[in-house]
Amino acid sequence: MKENSLWKDAFKRLIKDKMALASLIVVIVYSLIAILASMGLIASDWAKEVGASNLPPSAEHWFGTDIFGRDVLAKVLHGTQIAMSVGLFTALIAIPIGVILGAVAGYFGGWVDDFITWLYTTFSSIPNIMLLISITMILGKGIFAVYIALGATSWVTLCRLIRGEVMKHKEREYVQAAGAIGGGHFRKLFLHILPNVTHIVIINTSLQFQFAIKSEVILSYLGLGVQGEPSWGTMIDDAKLELARGVWWQLAGATMAMFLVVLAFNLLGDALRDSLDPKLKGK
Amino acid sequence: MIKYIIRRLLYLIPVLLGVSFIIFVLFNLVSGDPTAVLLGKNATAKQMAELREQLGLNKPLLDQYFDVVKSAFTFDFGRSWATKQEISQMIIQGAYPSMALTVPAFIISTVLSLIISLVVAFYRGKGIDLFVRFMCIAGVSVSALAYILFFQYFFAYQLGWFEISGFEFGFPDFVPFIALPAIIFILLSLGPDVRFFRTVILDEIYQDYVRTARAKGLSEVIILLKHVLRNALIPIITYVVIQIPSLILGALLLENFFSIPGLGGITLNALNSSDFPVIKAMAILSSVLYIILSLVTDVLYTFADPRVKLK
Amino acid sequence: MTSPLLSVRNLVVDFHTGEGVTRAVNNISFDIPAGKTIGIVGESGSGKSVTSLAVMGLLQKPAARIPQGEILFNGQNLLNYNDAQMRAIRGNQISMIFQEPMTSLNPVFKVGDQIAETIRIHNSVSAKEAWDRAVDLMNQVGIPNPAASAHKYPHEMSGGQKQRVMIAMAIACEPKLLICDEPTTALDVTIQKQVLDLLHGLQQKYNMSMMFITHDLGVIGDIADDVVVMYRSNVVEKNNAKEVFYTAKHPYTKGLLACRPKLGANPRRLLTVSDFMDENGVEKHVSPERVVVFDKDSEAEKSSDILLEVKNLVTQFPIKGGIFGRTVDHFKAVNDVSFTLKKGKTLGLVGESGCGKTTLGRSILRLIEPSSGSIIYNGKDITNVYAEELRLLRRKMQIIFQDPYSSLNPRMTVSEILTEPLNIHNVGNGRKERLDMAKELFEKVGLNASQLNRYPHEFSGGQRQRICIARALMLRPEFVICDESVSALDVSVQAQVLNLLLDLQQEFGLTYVFISHDLSVVNFIADEVGVMNAGKIIEMDKATNIYKNPKEEYTRALLSAIPKGLVKSDLSALV
Repeated sequence: MKENSLWKDAFKRLIKDKMALASLIVVIVYSLIAILASMGLIASDWAKEVGASNLPPSAEHWFGTDIFGRDVLAKVLHGTQIAMSVGLFTALIAIPIGVILGAVAGYFGGWVDDFITWLYTTFSSIPNIMLLISITMILGKGIFAVYIALGATSWVTLCRLIRGEVMKHKEREYVQAAGAIGGGHFRKLFLHILPNVTHIVIINTSLQFQFAIKSEVILSYLGLGVQGEPSWGTMIDDAKLELARGVWWQLAGATMAMFLVVLAFNLLGDALRDSLDPKLKGK
Repeated sequence: MIKYIIRRLLYLIPVLLGVSFIIFVLFNLVSGDPTAVLLGKNATAKQMAELREQLGLNKPLLDQYFDVVKSAFTFDFGRSWATKQEISQMIIQGAYPSMALTVPAFIISTVLSLIISLVVAFYRGKGIDLFVRFMCIAGVSVSALAYILFFQYFFAYQLGWFEISGFEFGFPDFVPFIALPAIIFILLSLGPDVRFFRTVILDEIYQDYVRTARAKGLSEVIILLKHVLRNALIPIITYVVIQIPSLILGALLLENFFSIPGLGGITLNALNSSDFPVIKAMAILSSVLYIILSLVTDVLYTFADPRVKLK
Repeated sequence: MTSPLLSVRNLVVDFHTGEGVTRAVNNISFDIPAGKTIGIVGESGSGKSVTSLAVMGLLQKPAARIPQGEILFNGQNLLNYNDAQMRAIRGNQISMIFQEPMTSLNPVFKVGDQIAETIRIHNSVSAKEAWDRAVDLMNQVGIPNPAASAHKYPHEMSGGQKQRVMIAMAIACEPKLLICDEPTTALDVTIQKQVLDLLHGLQQKYNMSMMFITHDLGVIGDIADDVVVMYRSNVVEKNNAKEVFYTAKHPYTKGLLACRPKLGANPRRLLTVSDFMDENGVEKHVSPERVVVFDKDSEAEKSSDILLEVKNLVTQFPIKGGIFGRTVDHFKAVNDVSFTLKKGKTLGLVGESGCGKTTLGRSILRLIEPSSGSIIYNGKDITNVYAEELRLLRRKMQIIFQDPYSSLNPRMTVSEILTEPLNIHNVGNGRKERLDMAKELFEKVGLNASQLNRYPHEFSGGQRQRICIARALMLRPEFVICDESVSALDVSVQAQVLNLLLDLQQEFGLTYVFISHDLSVVNFIADEVGVMNAGKIIEMDKATNIYKNPKEEYTRALLSAIPKGLVKSDLSALV
């Protein structure tokens, strides 16, 4: 006897898609690198001088060395930890705020909805990059400010999407049926509606993860991100001056590392949309 | 319809107050006392007190908040800490190079994206569609920094086709300076634009009215260019218009790399010198622009979508 | 005999998907002679719409493929035509009207332009001439004030008017063949009747051939010359309409004919397709005890206890207006409604969309708060009970909704859905006992207990509606509101669900309020019928009286709108 929940169906469709499966693997590998790096098991000695200055890639140092003779690969791996942590903390800030505000606004309507709509309209009225720059500058440069800044900007999209979706579901007969059998607001909103809008959170998080990574790189490049540690952004900043001298490997390493994971999140986001969107699921 | 616009206009008031409040909280409450930074280590208490008075930091908080709100209308942002210039003057000077770069690039990239997405929507599911889709995703996955670095290094530095950096006022003198950054701008915009436009157009292609149009005997090209495009235009308008405020700053990195003295460059300089009033002014300016343009979108809606008039 | 206008020969249509190949149309053949109307009848998924799209050349390639067959139009095989040739045919020689008038028109163009566009594609006329012709066409299809209406956008018109615009568009080039795919299914009964009359009139006037697709044999009774019955991708019967109606040969056709409730007949239960044939399509004999006629009126006297009394109920919604969106007025969806309902009986509420019948149902259950008036249930005024008391009331009063697709939570298994009411009200001792209770009811509504752990999307529409019924009955209520509970189902499935509701009423002694737009269904199931219009019950009487002696003009209009094709009460002929 088969029992196919929509989640299981979606997962099956997802892994059937080879591109999505590859993306999922890339994301998992990056996550592992980030976890291992944060535990100090790999790339902990990125600051150590391991050879001459600006060595091109070789068998010993796959990505070459930087101006201080540090291993570029180790820096890239450490940068992975920074990038993934930014994605993770942004999601941890944005998801609870976005989901709760969006769900409450969509479900209760009235002045609660008016207030929350005003709140996210206000936030989205300040262009993203300006809000990011302002928050990181004011909170003081550093990775913590980057988390807060990205969290403060990325809940808005999620909140708007969840609100719209909850409003749609609120009118569905299955929610009215839950009311008819005596279920209260809590049951209707959290047990019935929310499981039906979770796919939006997953799709959105996948796409926001890559946005957070890209933003971290730019903020770090601008000197607003991590201080005293290598991140992909600071590596590209270093490379700016090195390129004219033909030292391309630091730029290439950081760019490739970022390209792969951002591409994976983008493809995964698209594949998730295809496999989770109930519109495609017959009737 | 007039009623609708008035209603939208009235709605802007609380939004503007909200935006001012966020900026006030960030710059007046959280950021702390700037006098120590401004005057250096050897400042006397008297000097600091004087400066506080001068900057209006001794005013009651409510007054400080209303100063922020007021500046959204008067564009009187005070003076820069770093250059002591009137900020509004700096903005007027910076607007020219910024617009010279972004306006033509923005128009070209939008039109080009629309054409590409119509073509791929026509050939949906076929090879060219898959190829463009993949190129778009791959394109947006590369850091903007990498594009700029590479293009500047290769086309300007190595091949010498373009000016490496700088700017000259007056058309057509600025053309050689903005040509390469404009090309990079267009390339950077194509990926996300084509992805969005394509999705919107495909959403429309599967609607019932398209089936009706086919049943009439219309050709696919006309269905796409007349029936589908007209409907897809509604979300596209929002997407395009709402991008305009970030245009000022969107070229932030480009202006920085190519040493173009535009608003983006001003912002980054202010960032490096912790010049808070300039950043604050840019935040207010871009938000006000955003709010005005969202009203413009609403008005455009009433032309694009006959259903809006009823509301 | 001259050759037919359209001749479909041995047509096969396959759909290729990632999961394999599905055959949607299996080797079917039929003819449409010039100037005749052919009805194509079948339930959803029987392949009837696919057939029409194949004729139009509108199948979605590359998923749909036609490995075999011919579609001859005027002797030419349309399947050999290229795109340009097909475009010259579509909208010109063959045109089509779709089911959903709401979404079938382009929302951003004026309807006049949309009609004129069809004319200009196929004729070289000026914009002005095309527009004038469009206005003339709108006049012909009965749109009031056509010159002004042509400037309207689709959202400014009602569903019936939009369908008229679709018809105007379809006949703009005086096609030889008009294909109508369930053109009236989404419309109210009275509008349905008008649209059918209009189509029939136009067909006669222009001497068109018409291919009319429907799931309801009754709809085409008046207008079809020939009928083609499709079942599971095959044509199972084709014949002259009269022959089909009076001497149907295939058991599926017999089932279709029998399952539609008829005014004037009072069967205890409806015959369904499964009474005529088994799952493999083998004919069986209808057992005579399935065809019992009974006298409702004498039955009605037996009960006397009043379960529900509604007094002067009003439910109103605010109308917002002005710049600040303040409430400027109220719309009375339910306007001063009163009735009483006896225990074990069924009250039918009938009316067209927007008449307030759904709001009335939800107000009685307090799912929508009534504005004034009172609801007395079992002698107790429940208009102002709240919290715990209201929750307890939910055990006694239940509702079954219209749409079997949206009324079940897609993320819950059926067993979770069925045990949820028990959990909320803490009925039953532990998980195991609750599961057993769910299993018992699940089987009672005719489903297989081994499927309890499945999710709703794995069931058909009819099965889902059974699940909804089971959920409503889990708390063993006394009173159930059925809100259009069979309206979204094909007629053949509708009959099964109606029978089930009757069986359950007997077994559990239920009292129903049955809400529907379909008078014949209400007449079949209800003891008493209330006709609703504009928020009021304008006429209320015993079911048999309502159709025999309607007092109100509106009731008469509703009655006359019921398709007459099948007013044949002599069921014994079928047995």
